[in-house]
Amino acid sequence: MASADSRRVGDGSGAGGTFQPYLDSLRQELQRTDPTLLSVVVAVFAVLLTLVFWKFIRSRRSSQRAVLLVGLCDSGKTLLFVRLLTGLYRDTQTSITDSSAVYRVNNNRGNSLTLIDLPGHESLRLQFLERFKSSARAVVFVVDSAAFQREVKDVAEFLYQVLIDSMGLKNIPSFLIACNKQDIAMAKSAKLIQQQLEKELNTLRVTRSAAPSTLDSSSTVPIQLGKKGKEFEFSQLPLKVEFLECSAKGGRGDAGSADIQDLEKWLAKIA
Amino acid sequence: MLDFFTIFSKGGLVLWCFQGVSDSCTGPVNALIRSVLLQERGGNNSFTHEALTLKYKLDNQFELVFVVGFQKILTLTYVDKLIDDVHRLFRDKYRTEIQQQSALSLLNGTFDFQNDFMRLLREAEESSKIRAPTTMKKFEDSEKAKKPVRSMIETRGEKPKEKAKNSKKKGAKKEGSDGPLATSKAVPTEKSGLPGGPENGIELSKEELIRRKREEFIQKHGRGMEKSSKSTKSDAPKEKGKKAPRVWELGGCTNREVLDYSTPTTNGTPEAALSEDINLIRGTGPGGQLQDLDCSSSDDEGAAQNSTKPSATKGTLGGMFGMLKGLVGSKSLSREDMESVLDKMRDHLIAKNVAADIAVQLCESVANKLEGKVMGTFSTVTSTVKQALQESLVQILQPQRRVDMLRDIMDAQRRQRPYVVTFCGVNGVGKSTNLAKISFWLLENGFSVLIAACDTFRAGAVEQLRTHTRRLSALHPPENHGGRTMVQLFEKGYGKDAAGIAMEAIAFARNQGFDVVLVDTAGRMQDNAPLMTALAKLITVNTPDLVLFVGEALVGNEAVDQLVKFNRALADHSMAQTPRLIDGIVLTKFDTIDDKVGAAISMTYITSKPIVFVGTGQTYCDLRSLNAKAVVAALMKA
Repeated sequence: MASADSRRVGDGSGAGGTFQPYLDSLRQELQRTDPTLLSVVVAVFAVLLTLVFWKFIRSRRSSQRAVLLVGLCDSGKTLLFVRLLTGLYRDTQTSITDSSAVYRVNNNRGNSLTLIDLPGHESLRLQFLERFKSSARAVVFVVDSAAFQREVKDVAEFLYQVLIDSMGLKNIPSFLIACNKQDIAMAKSAKLIQQQLEKELNTLRVTRSAAPSTLDSSSTVPIQLGKKGKEFEFSQLPLKVEFLECSAKGGRGDAGSADIQDLEKWLAKIA
Repeated sequence: MLDFFTIFSKGGLVLWCFQGVSDSCTGPVNALIRSVLLQERGGNNSFTHEALTLKYKLDNQFELVFVVGFQKILTLTYVDKLIDDVHRLFRDKYRTEIQQQSALSLLNGTFDFQNDFMRLLREAEESSKIRAPTTMKKFEDSEKAKKPVRSMIETRGEKPKEKAKNSKKKGAKKEGSDGPLATSKAVPTEKSGLPGGPENGIELSKEELIRRKREEFIQKHGRGMEKSSKSTKSDAPKEKGKKAPRVWELGGCTNREVLDYSTPTTNGTPEAALSEDINLIRGTGPGGQLQDLDCSSSDDEGAAQNSTKPSATKGTLGGMFGMLKGLVGSKSLSREDMESVLDKMRDHLIAKNVAADIAVQLCESVANKLEGKVMGTFSTVTSTVKQALQESLVQILQPQRRVDMLRDIMDAQRRQRPYVVTFCGVNGVGKSTNLAKISFWLLENGFSVLIAACDTFRAGAVEQLRTHTRRLSALHPPENHGGRTMVQLFEKGYGKDAAGIAMEAIAFARNQGFDVVLVDTAGRMQDNAPLMTALAKLITVNTPDLVLFVGEALVGNEAVDQLVKFNRALADHSMAQTPRLIDGIVLTKFDTIDDKVGAAISMTYITSKPIVFVGTGQTYCDLRSLNAKAVVAALMKA
């Protein structure tokens, strides 16, 4: 019995012993290979992993850091862009492509936003809006307050388009309608512009939804702005729309500074 | 001399500006941007705006535009060179500032370019002065002086002899005028020529005299020596020996053996050759079955993949470093690279029914926009050019403010006058059919329509419209709309003046309170001057709110001609300062073309007006609006 037990124990140890040489050999193998090489491999792997994670996280966060400056041609977007970034005055021409720069917001946290100035010309505006709308955290729609009476329909049409596009996005950006060129005497106030735009958009949403369908009938049902029965108001929209007045040129033209404190405060708020 | 010179970025910032006159330069430059660059007419680099000529140059690598403006009446020859020099100098001097992606560097940089520019301008002006007038060649230097007068007189019979003799003499004379050293030789050769002289009698001796005198004159002014010496060398081998008959390569020969193409075969061997051919003809495929139609797009993708593969393998190695820092030594596009791709694209566009001129201009403009641009890592020339072409096509199809008819009709309603739409076009494009479709659409939206039958020429035009009116009013009877007739036909029969009928129709609509008046005109060829005058008169007199040109999608190069001539006729016969031109285009018969949608591009490019409606069939519901992206996708599809 004892011999059987001892034999069994011997067998057990033998069985463990059969594994034992494997483990031993493995340990020896590991010890034989340069420990530095192994640690280097592990380190590189860890670095790659962190790089991948970091890029992923940073891209996700930076994808929503853009503020788009949109508006009709000659509404003052590029000058506003320049004033926000440097505070200086520069001559500008009609933009053909977008310009982007990083803007440091002046609040306690010191966040940074990417300001993107899109061209306002009719043939370009929709293309550029398509390209940048997904990364938009906020949209500043610049309106020429002095020429507003003449351009009401065009302003409303473009605003309608921008609103429809924004509402179709996953993260709806915050909206600001900046009534620019307040330094000119005939400029309309923000309140007046808001009322006129609401009236115009009221009729526009009816006519747009009644337009003949596009060539490929795969387009979805057009999004309805506001409530159906009632008069259109900006408060009915799912996104926040604010109005404020500003003047990119400023009271004294080239020499003075621009009157854009409200705009800067709003940017600080949404950053 | 220059009015202004501006350098600005494509994003709109003016980097540097030189103003020779006190007028601001923003107006003309904005006009240049809007009409040339944004409408893809960037093929040639000059543009006239009022009294100024503007020349521009794009730098696509750093996204800059250089514009110079000067008075139209001046013709300055140094402008092109000046722009190139300024471009080069500016780029080299401010490379660091303009290279960065962010606009901050452009904003913060000071571009103190005034001194350099003045220097370049002075150099350019001086160089143009130096080169200015070239002195005229003297008679002795010309070719004519070298030939004796006798050789130019053609007399029959003696011609070949004369020519041979004179060519000898010419060679001799040229050899003789080699230099002052050779003058001594000239005399003996002349003397050798002299014996030949008296052969032909007195005339030759006179000619001899002339030649001799000319030679002396030439010797005195040693000018044409080098020229004559060179021509001597070339003349010498020709002059020596007799003239060998010239052998033309493709001229054939009269050698009978060479011309005998009959194969030296017996009865057996030709048949053997034939059996081989049959095997070749049958080929290696299945005998009687038809092969399936290959999808042509796969070939294109294959080619693209093949070209991306080598760049991809290069790219993966460099791509790792590229991720961490910017790509160093990236390739910039030059015209030669793009040449073949652009040719292919042009042919592709023409195959898709875009007018030939317009395809050429478009490709020129795309080449101008891409020249010097730096490509990304994984993009090939083909893909970059295709992308740029796609963008410019979408840009062309969205020219201006969209024509929103319903909105404008509501405006006109408020002002209590009818909204007048006129349809014009050539014969048989579908004006009356589409007019009926549009009136159906308007009725569905609750507007009342008056159809004015101003086609007083074609047989059955009025009856056609009457049938449409009857059907439409059956669909929208007055009972449904509170007793108001929604659709009515206004006609005055055949043979009357169309403009008069239109005026009466509009007055009738205003009295009866109709919202819209749709005026149908007769189809007319664009070359038919009296009919074009009549149409222009109709439009000028009645001032419609919307002039729609109806064009069919099947038209090819004709579209350009039609639209240009229609617009010209409307502009010529209008008294107003700003004439009423075509406001919009209705593209009809769109269902007949599968994806050969090029006519849309041609029409919008020529007029830069939007396509308002698209007709896709012959029932009332076949009315669509244009989807630019879908059309461009169909156009770019292989």
